[in-house]
Amino acid sequence: MSVFDPEQPYAVRDDAALLAELNDLSRRHLSGCAAYKSVWPAWQTARSLAELPFLHAGVFKYVRFRTEAPDIKHERTLKSSATTSGKSSMITLDRESSELQSASTLAILRDFVGSKQRPLLVLDSSKSLLARGEVSARVAAALSLKPLATEIHFLLDDAADADSMRWEVLEGVLKAHDDLLVYGFTWILWLAWLKAKRPESIARMLKGRRIAFVHSGGWKKLEALKVERSEFDHALLKDLDPQSRVVDYYGLVEQVGIIYPLCEAGYRHVPRWAEVIVRDPWTLKPLTGEDGQLQLLNTLARGAPYHSVLTEDVGRVVEGDCACGRKGRRFLLQGRVPKSEVRGCANV
Amino acid sequence: MSEHLQGFSGSDGSGGRVEVTLPISPRLLIEDWASLQSSMVKTMPETFTRDEWAYLISFLSPENLWRPFRESFGQEAKDGAVKKAVSLYRPRGQVGLWLPNNVSLLGPLTMILLSLTGQRMDIKVGSRSADLTSAFVEFVLSKLKPGPLATLLRSQLHCATFPRTDERNARMAAESKVRIVFGGDEAAEAIDRLPHPPGSVGYYFVDKRSEAWLEAAALSDETLSTLIKVFTIYGRAGCTSPRRAVIFGAKPGEVSAIRDRLFALWPKAWPRKPPMHIASENIMARQWAAAVGWDAATAPNHAATLCIGDTELQEIDTLMFLPLTTGERESVTRSLPANIQTVGHALATPPDAAWLAAIARTGIKRFVPLGQMHHFGPTWDGYEFWKGLFERVEVGG
Repeated sequence: MSVFDPEQPYAVRDDAALLAELNDLSRRHLSGCAAYKSVWPAWQTARSLAELPFLHAGVFKYVRFRTEAPDIKHERTLKSSATTSGKSSMITLDRESSELQSASTLAILRDFVGSKQRPLLVLDSSKSLLARGEVSARVAAALSLKPLATEIHFLLDDAADADSMRWEVLEGVLKAHDDLLVYGFTWILWLAWLKAKRPESIARMLKGRRIAFVHSGGWKKLEALKVERSEFDHALLKDLDPQSRVVDYYGLVEQVGIIYPLCEAGYRHVPRWAEVIVRDPWTLKPLTGEDGQLQLLNTLARGAPYHSVLTEDVGRVVEGDCACGRKGRRFLLQGRVPKSEVRGCANV
Repeated sequence: MSEHLQGFSGSDGSGGRVEVTLPISPRLLIEDWASLQSSMVKTMPETFTRDEWAYLISFLSPENLWRPFRESFGQEAKDGAVKKAVSLYRPRGQVGLWLPNNVSLLGPLTMILLSLTGQRMDIKVGSRSADLTSAFVEFVLSKLKPGPLATLLRSQLHCATFPRTDERNARMAAESKVRIVFGGDEAAEAIDRLPHPPGSVGYYFVDKRSEAWLEAAALSDETLSTLIKVFTIYGRAGCTSPRRAVIFGAKPGEVSAIRDRLFALWPKAWPRKPPMHIASENIMARQWAAAVGWDAATAPNHAATLCIGDTELQEIDTLMFLPLTTGERESVTRSLPANIQTVGHALATPPDAAWLAAIARTGIKRFVPLGQMHHFGPTWDGYEFWKGLFERVEVGG
């Protein structure tokens, strides 16, 4: 029986069952993906979660991993937004995994924003849906909220331009609904929703509305603008219904299907079908109670070996029960692995 | 203006004594530079790494600072008087130096060499990187006692940070009698296109690659430790950094054992952890390399990724990726990139005529002992650029 139980994402976990499932999944990828086998040629069954094989998140920018098996039907490719390297991670999606991933994301989001369906406003352009065979991380994240939506509206005319807000669309939705779900990348939400010149009529209509803002994509760009989380949340919730809320989640395209929203107590919780391991960056030894490099695992990835990924993020596993009431493992996300200047050419 | 005449024995093939006319006595300038060494041992500005600072200290030794004069003009004449001179060298004048963003120590080192001519120096540093030249000058001026060098740096050195599009580039080019440019091909071409005085000269040091060549019979622990050091200091980021290590005379199966020896020596040869992002990148690089066919392994603390395999395999574009390969002299020289610069060698016996003949057929600019790969000097990329700061006056008898 699978450890994946969308009804109870944060109930007490069966560790042995999770290990068995991840061992099976690893074996499946090793037999179906030659490139993965080349990376882990001598791997044997893991006796603990920390012994499971992993891929570094960055390697998906350079190698297209794909697991072949009779029951796998590969579909689109999930593409991350390009980083400073200018390269995007490319994740090969398959039908079965996509279904599991959608159900997983929905189960996690429900736990944070409730199950009620309402209009979903996406701070992106509908044109982003048009790329054939590929789906951007932004669009994938927005569409993961689709089961919670009665209708979907894209609010940007140009995905790259935060000034291209379609205020008339928002106005139309606000005329008909009091309760809304809004999704956007963190920095787009800041620029398009909060900083763009908002018509006075919209400002008036927003007063007292109940809105659940869901955002992801990290704080790097807002840190550069010196925007604090408290300022961001306060600005979003100003004048809204008191039950409105802001949910900031952490996720990677290399771990599609698993998201880590920030709970009311300030922690990220691991669903029962996933795991977080913190490793010493130099020895890869697992750490508890100390900062280290985050490794994320889940049981959902069938079409390519992205079930166990060493990220370039730093975090810390925190022991004990969380004040928010969720069970299982929790962690603090501390940020990206720090980078320093590379001194180069003719550097003598 | 030019008041000091310094005699040299001559080494330019003219067969006679050479006089060099300079605004400041080189002996005084060199003494001033060398006087900084003791202060530098005690204090290091935060901007510099320990290795960079150590190299700068050694660079300021009088022996090293006399080297440009000796290589260009011969031994310093003891009497200092003018007699039977057949050549007179005088500085061309103002020098413009362009440094790209990721170049660090090269700025201070070139500035030190330029200062020995006593001319005005305009230095443009990259706008997106640490400016080690200004940081070094600031340190120097805070420690130097009043004297010729302090006066020269205060009055004749102008260091500024501005982008490639800034109009000051054109002004520098228009005013400089010598242009020295370090950077990419495109940047060098852009500066070369700027109007410059007729008769002025330009030295353009563009993108280059380097390699380490080692003979299996010469692979002592000391040699392998030297390879670790020359590679680890800059990874592949320097023009002088080895982008592959070729081991001559080793069977393919023996390279794995050599890599094991390197890993065993690594903690002693480079006793510090790499930055976290470098360790992380090497974990990634090992997996990338293995996935595309390399026999890949990481050094202790994930300090580097050393790979064995055919160099036709996909290159792993990470800072600390070093392929180890075997080969024959002919095939290796044939496979060199067009922009080859330095080959650092560790040979069982000094390079013989066969080596020289092989090198002659290549574009190699420097064939130096492994430990000297990163050493900077008055001749660079095949140009005697320091001597080019002067013009020669024929003196008939």
